[in-house]
Amino acid sequence: MHERSLMKALLAQVDAIRVQHRAQKVSEVRVEVGPLSGVEPVQLATAFEEMALGTPCATAAFIIDEVGLLARCLDCHTEFEVVGFEFLCPECAGQVQVICGDSLQLISVGLELEHVAKEETT
Amino acid sequence: MTVIHQTIVVRRDVHAKAKADAEAERRRLAARGTLAVNLLSSPGTGKTTLLEATARAWAGRYTMAVLVGDLETDRDAQRLRRLVPTAQLTTGGACHLELPLVRRGLEALGDPPVDFLFIENVGNLVCPASHDLAEHLRVVLVSVTEGDDKPGKYPKMFRTSQAMVVTKLDLLPHVPFSVDAVEADARRIQPALRCLQVAALGGQGIDHWCEYLVTERERRLASQQ
Repeated sequence: MHERSLMKALLAQVDAIRVQHRAQKVSEVRVEVGPLSGVEPVQLATAFEEMALGTPCATAAFIIDEVGLLARCLDCHTEFEVVGFEFLCPECAGQVQVICGDSLQLISVGLELEHVAKEETT
Repeated sequence: MTVIHQTIVVRRDVHAKAKADAEAERRRLAARGTLAVNLLSSPGTGKTTLLEATARAWAGRYTMAVLVGDLETDRDAQRLRRLVPTAQLTTGGACHLELPLVRRGLEALGDPPVDFLFIENVGNLVCPASHDLAEHLRVVLVSVTEGDDKPGKYPKMFRTSQAMVVTKLDLLPHVPFSVDAVEADARRIQPALRCLQVAALGGQGIDHWCEYLVTERERRLASQQ
């Protein structure tokens, strides 16, 4: 349910990019998810398969890059990978801010543009 | 005619627009003195009972309104309407609330300039964690009957909350639940988490809870202006 509502938002954003570049078809959609994205990759891929049908994304490859959870200490600025959801700086036990792995990111969109060569137009 | 392949690099949070909309709404609410509180928990933890106790404690002192989310029925709203302005948001099966539905609820109430706006989310420790409803404060509730192992199982919910309220404390003698254990597990995920305990039916801990909200309202509204 949740993955489907996210996919609806994602497909709308991809289509806006397609229209902006005047492309007919989308060939690839690449996203990034992490442990705190609130997204299950298999369910997200299933949502894409189902919801892209009949749209310009229907034949697009859907690529999910799974990244780790990275945080930065607010005190000593150490950057580290959060393991087991332990959100304390390993250097100084300070409070940390997540810098990667807590959102669903649209990384890139591959488009197919039909190019009409000059000699064909004459 | 030839087909050209082009890759457009985007690198953008899919929720970017929703987050920006929520931030704008948060500022609007703060500017007129409303602190928005998003209440989250499993079904049956006691969100509505806590709000009933809060409304009784504040009668005549602070104004509040409630937007209450459920998949179906207006049972919670019926309970709360006796005490404070309340709008029921029925999601028709969706597992969480999103900002447009919250806005519709506020409009239904006439957008009252209350001191506190409570958003009682759909009972669910998973999906609501991913949606910013323009709240200034996110509070997660855990009842002693649910077990003290919940924070580690639902890390996003606890990581994104500012406070945790342990509810049904009067049942503690009857269940294998450790308040220390649940607080330690939650603080591992969110070290800045404020931990409170209530037994809302008997009124235990309601004074601390109300005091906490009043202090947060002063602090957070001042910092938003």
